[in-house]
Amino acid sequence: MDTPIQFQINTGSAEPIYRQLMDQLRRRVAAGQWLAGQELPSVRELALLLAVNPMTVSKAYGLLELEGLLERRRGLPMVIAAGHAAPARARDRIGQLEPTLQRAAAEAQELGIPKHQALALFERLLNAPAPAPAPGAPR
Amino acid sequence: MTPSLNVPLPHNDAGLVLSAAGALTEAAPSIEIAGLQLAYAGRPVLQGLDWRLQPGQVVGLLGRNGAGKTTLLEALLGLRDAQAGSVRLFGQPATRLDDAARSRIGYVPQASDLFPELRADELLAYFRSFYPRWNTAKVEGLLARWAVPRDIEIGRMSGGQQQRLSIIRALAHEPDLLVLDEPVASLDPLARRDFLRELVGQVLERSTTVVFSTHILSDLERVAFNVAFLKAGRIALQAPLDELLEGTRLVGGPRSQTDAQTDAQTDAQIDAVPGLQVLGRQGGRSLVRIQDRGVAEAGLPAHLMAQRASLEDLFEVLT
Repeated sequence: MDTPIQFQINTGSAEPIYRQLMDQLRRRVAAGQWLAGQELPSVRELALLLAVNPMTVSKAYGLLELEGLLERRRGLPMVIAAGHAAPARARDRIGQLEPTLQRAAAEAQELGIPKHQALALFERLLNAPAPAPAPGAPR
Repeated sequence: MTPSLNVPLPHNDAGLVLSAAGALTEAAPSIEIAGLQLAYAGRPVLQGLDWRLQPGQVVGLLGRNGAGKTTLLEALLGLRDAQAGSVRLFGQPATRLDDAARSRIGYVPQASDLFPELRADELLAYFRSFYPRWNTAKVEGLLARWAVPRDIEIGRMSGGQQQRLSIIRALAHEPDLLVLDEPVASLDPLARRDFLRELVGQVLERSTTVVFSTHILSDLERVAFNVAFLKAGRIALQAPLDELLEGTRLVGGPRSQTDAQTDAQTDAQIDAVPGLQVLGRQGGRSLVRIQDRGVAEAGLPAHLMAQRASLEDLFEVLT
């Protein structure tokens, strides 16, 4: 069964909300969790659900369409574009994770955290159950 | 509030107005302020302020306590006389709006201006008589959903209940311009979220122009596509929030490294970096807009670091 398409956003970060939406979709598609043909919520639905400006949602959708991840169909909901029917190659997926880990590595060094402690923390986080707050839940 | 039976001209999402003659013309800006000066007892609050909002824009107004946000919002609604400058709403002088323009405005003031001796039903029936457009279904729905009691006097309601009623009153006539002055200060997080959804719905349905002043930055981040910073009596900067979050950096040095030099010296070093435009400063840190990333990175002294800014950082440096 398809993984349902749900977004969550964090306020207070330096990452604009439209970027957060784009990054989540890119990761889910790369992981093969959201598959070609799956329907996205409409701009209206997602804006109301997350309580965000509709222009923010349409900006994210428009850019993802340009990237070839979404397909617009006249009068119908947007879908994950054809060609994304399986998980991306492991090498590509690791590539997507790299910038985040680079930042984490830099911060660990700035904080003077020894390598084994940083790795232990990452392992603990990987083992923790995935957080699944309601979409748009207050944070 | 003045009685009115005039129906505003229809307009579409692109901000075009269908004139009486049927021709499409460019809509006047929803708000157009030029050179506004306003002082209280000789103390200047607004000092030559210019501000312009296009139809359909949702703008968050940010400023410190006492910066003059409420004064600005009241002046733009024509509720305060300025010493100099002009305020126009939908192309008309704000202090001499006709009834049609008046009926296109919704306002949630910071302090409740509801009649304390009336009940909610009485208050809404009273206001209803002034507006050509009144969405009864929306009013009924919101009263029920937000659990606003209809049968007790407004003066006996809680602050949160009064605020909800004030919001319902402002949304009931489906305004084209909504001015919100700390509209959610007394609301709990769930009520706030519900209010934001209502606001998003309003923007979706009517392309309402919204000016939203609040200190709850997370709310602003969600709904305001543009942010405006009020400082020293002027709008110091207005820009799309996305653009500010992505196109700016906070530049400064770790305290241990900059201790040896004064903030002024740090500022001067940052000024000397090519490819950057300084937008604001605070205690040895500068908020800069990146004009040329490659040039800026190459020119940044090694002891200075550039970090991404959050909305809170922007607030700190720009207000």
